[in-house]
Amino acid sequence: MSANGYTKEQVIEALHDIAGEMHNKMLKGDPPTMTLPVRTKQNISFDPKLGVYKYGKKKSTRDATSLGSARQLLRALHVTEFIEEMIEAGKSSTLREMYYISEGWGHGKFGSQNESNNLAEDLEIITKCMREDFKLRPEEDGARIIGNITFEERNRRGQWMRINCRDDVGDSGYGVPYNVELEKLRLVDHDVDFIMAIETGGMFDRLVENGFDESSRCALVHLKGQPARSTRRIIKRMNEEWNLPVLVFLDGDPWSYRIYASIAYGAIKTAHISEYLATPSAVYLGIRAGDIESYDLPADDLSSKDIQALNAELSDPRFADAEWQEEIKLMLELGKKAEQQSLAKYGLDFVTDTYLPEKLAEILGR
Amino acid sequence: MADAEKIASKQKQISISEFFEKNKHFLGFDTLQRAVITAVKEAVDNSLDACEEARILPELKVEINKLKGDKLELICRDNGPGIPRDSVENVFGKFLLGSRFHAIRQTRGQQGIGITGVVMYSQLTTGSKTHVISKIKSDSSAVHVDLGLDTRKNKATKSNEIRDVWFEDGEEVVNGLKIKTVMKAKYQRGRQSVHQYLRMTSIVNPHATIQLIVRDGDDVIDQGHWIRTTEKLPRVVEEIKPHPHGIHLGQLQRMLKEAPERRLTSFLRHNFSGVSMRAAKEILRRSELEEGRTPVRIKADEAQALLDSFQEVKLLAPPTDCLSPIEEILIKKGLSKAIDSRFASTVTRKPTVSQGNPFQIEVGLVFGGDLAADGPIEVLRFANRVPLMYQQGGCLMTKALESVNWKQYGLDHPGGKGLPKGPAAVLIHLASTNVQFTSEAKEAVSDNEEVFEEIRRAMLEVGRGLKNHLKKSKQKKKAQEKFDLINIILPEISRKSSEMLGREEPDLSPVITRIMNAVFLEDDVSWDNDAKQNICSVSIYNYTARARAYTILAKWPEGEGVSMAENPRGGRKETNGLWAWRLDTLNPGESAEIRFTVEGLTKGDWNETDIFFRGNGDIIGANKIDEKLLDEMRKVEALAVAEAEANPKYEDIGSLERVLDRAEPVEGLNAGKEESDSETTPAETEGTPAETENWGSLAMEDDVE
Repeated sequence: MSANGYTKEQVIEALHDIAGEMHNKMLKGDPPTMTLPVRTKQNISFDPKLGVYKYGKKKSTRDATSLGSARQLLRALHVTEFIEEMIEAGKSSTLREMYYISEGWGHGKFGSQNESNNLAEDLEIITKCMREDFKLRPEEDGARIIGNITFEERNRRGQWMRINCRDDVGDSGYGVPYNVELEKLRLVDHDVDFIMAIETGGMFDRLVENGFDESSRCALVHLKGQPARSTRRIIKRMNEEWNLPVLVFLDGDPWSYRIYASIAYGAIKTAHISEYLATPSAVYLGIRAGDIESYDLPADDLSSKDIQALNAELSDPRFADAEWQEEIKLMLELGKKAEQQSLAKYGLDFVTDTYLPEKLAEILGR
Repeated sequence: MADAEKIASKQKQISISEFFEKNKHFLGFDTLQRAVITAVKEAVDNSLDACEEARILPELKVEINKLKGDKLELICRDNGPGIPRDSVENVFGKFLLGSRFHAIRQTRGQQGIGITGVVMYSQLTTGSKTHVISKIKSDSSAVHVDLGLDTRKNKATKSNEIRDVWFEDGEEVVNGLKIKTVMKAKYQRGRQSVHQYLRMTSIVNPHATIQLIVRDGDDVIDQGHWIRTTEKLPRVVEEIKPHPHGIHLGQLQRMLKEAPERRLTSFLRHNFSGVSMRAAKEILRRSELEEGRTPVRIKADEAQALLDSFQEVKLLAPPTDCLSPIEEILIKKGLSKAIDSRFASTVTRKPTVSQGNPFQIEVGLVFGGDLAADGPIEVLRFANRVPLMYQQGGCLMTKALESVNWKQYGLDHPGGKGLPKGPAAVLIHLASTNVQFTSEAKEAVSDNEEVFEEIRRAMLEVGRGLKNHLKKSKQKKKAQEKFDLINIILPEISRKSSEMLGREEPDLSPVITRIMNAVFLEDDVSWDNDAKQNICSVSIYNYTARARAYTILAKWPEGEGVSMAENPRGGRKETNGLWAWRLDTLNPGESAEIRFTVEGLTKGDWNETDIFFRGNGDIIGANKIDEKLLDEMRKVEALAVAEAEANPKYEDIGSLERVLDRAEPVEGLNAGKEESDSETTPAETEGTPAETENWGSLAMEDDVE
């Protein structure tokens, strides 16, 4: 059983439908095709029922009239075959392993790891399965957690282990596994008031060293840049199952806005599973464009790529509300960006003694 | 000896050495690195000129040995005719001032100051004598002699002269020349090096085999071996008399002074080219000089009047058979010998005249292969088959090259200025009886509008060739992708999806037609090393839903000694260098192959063909033939044939190229989809369209049925 509750047979059947579409076309004398939603910001919209951004109705058809698309179709068949074999054998593989296995697929082999990752996502979107259903897993999960919360994780021997993320871990915290679904991870207990997600390792370590998790009664989650699926998923589960507020503490630049959007609204690339990954109530704490001025932070000039990214965000439906538009325009106006660690200008304790308490008072009213 | 004479001779002695010292930069000995290149150049140019004159295929060997203290030993050996004992002194010991004063022709040896300069440089810098061994065929032994230079008398000093048999590599030398000298010089590698000089020399002298070995003690530090690619010696060039349009006052005065003629009319007719009796009379009338005046007695102002009227009277152009072009196919061979590339386009322009001097431009362009893709293209400049290695930027040839908008022809040309970039090399050869250089160093050709324009035109021609080639390769790549798609990927998709679903495999032919929806043509020219033949194959695939009929036309290098060996499909000659075959019915999903072999060429002579077609509906990979242009071409050819009969020397090469270049290929692969309305229906193929063509206009109809 998986997050969406598909059985093995249902997964295989869904994958076979892809081959079926190709076969039916050829029977009619037409080039084989594969139909999938358009995966750009032009085709994501807010789903009021789920409270997250999902793919819209725009579909694109990949047909075998050019060499590139024909290869994609052939690859899809190879991947399907590979997944079927793994399901039968009760094995799983990393996306990278699949990329290397494709070396033996002749014309169906992938040109780059990115191609194989994208195709795995395509198959998820078409079949409405998740990659866990396909027995494919990412290279590494990345994220780590420190705070007074307790999980139960099922280890390789199938036994449930109880882990307190403050008392049972070292300085690097609890490592989040790639699978954080119920069959692998249980949320047992907590004694915190909120969850704080942090972009950079430097800031995470600073907060840990300053004992911020205990002094402010929170759990700290290190995102490691753009957060992996499992990181977003575990944040969502803690938010839903424990009803804890989620605060997101990032650098103050255009890319941080995107990280926040992927946590709160759903990422464009994974909009098909936004309802599993996104935490709509997550709050963007900082660094905000306004902080650069009000805290007089050391800042860098925006690069041309930064400006391009900000302009793209202005037309992204996820940033359509007035508050975001204002925030983005303010950064463009300032022409500056600042890192989390620029707060160190006022000393190592400034972030925990002054900046965060001020922000928390503003957001949580405490 | 009188004191005055003593002083005078002393002054002279000082002045010649001083002249050399002061003018080292003019003479090519200005730096230690350049001195060795110049020395090799003088020796090699002499050897090639001598071999050419004696009709011997040159074998040259250049050896350089590093010695202590920035000194090099240089040994140059050739298999030329050798120099008779009595002439050795003159060749090596005198600064020659041109032995044939009035006659002009294209020779290499117009450059620099000749081999005498090398003897002098060695003597001045190291005090060494130059050791010469010369053997002429008619003598039983060779002359071995050490030569120095008596600058006072402007003549060679001989020492240690003996006559003895001459052995090289264990064999007695029948004829040849060897020079061994020691000079102050430094060996360097790179763009300006002996290696590069010899490499370039071998490109424009494909009939020569050249070898280079550079040693530092026992270590070989640089070497090269360029083997001849043709046995064909350059044409013997005719000497011509100067043309009145290319003459200066001083020269005219000298000619008048030395003239044996008694009348001005005969003087003009005998000593100049392009001057008829009528023209001579007209020149004299305009100069207000009597026809019967004795040339020797003409005064300076009268000579000036004569010179002025030269420009006013209509004269015949000078003959151009005094020029020796390398010729397109040999340039191609020369380039392919030195540079590994995918594509070569060469042009030999017709000879033309600038200010009374005949000249001819040749250009070659190679592209792809081993050539570096980043950075400016390589420019190989030559004047009368001699490489020019310095002052590239200031040379007329470079300027003409840079004036072309290369972007239009498929090369990167940032800002349209400077040298274009890309994996290409361009060769420019100027053959002329009088190459004008910017300075005595003779490394850069000076500005001249007519020469510039000729080079530019030649560039445009090779540029068009390149553009065509790039377009063709792009089309080929696209077509190849489509073939991969339908022949490999699609069947795999079919097999895999059927297996997975446990269903029957679908019939793919309608799918293939839908995907391709066009007629495809693939052509290939390859070399069969065993049969020494070129094999040209053309495959046509009909991936449309209708039957098709076409006439396919292929370009091939028809010419003297080049003929078709096998051609099972028959067909017939359309025009010179263009053969036609009829394909009657090509049903949907069917393919046909045309294959023929050509003999009389060597490897690398022919690598690419152009295919044209006649009939309805486009073919991807071929161009529709332009009937109007073809008619024009036939007319041009008929004229050429008539002219060739009148004057067997005349041959019009390249007109086919020019006309066919104007036919535009079908753009893109989707072209086939757009013309589906005009497709031939199966019923229509009977009797159309091939049979409605203009077959009747040609005599050979036997194989048409």
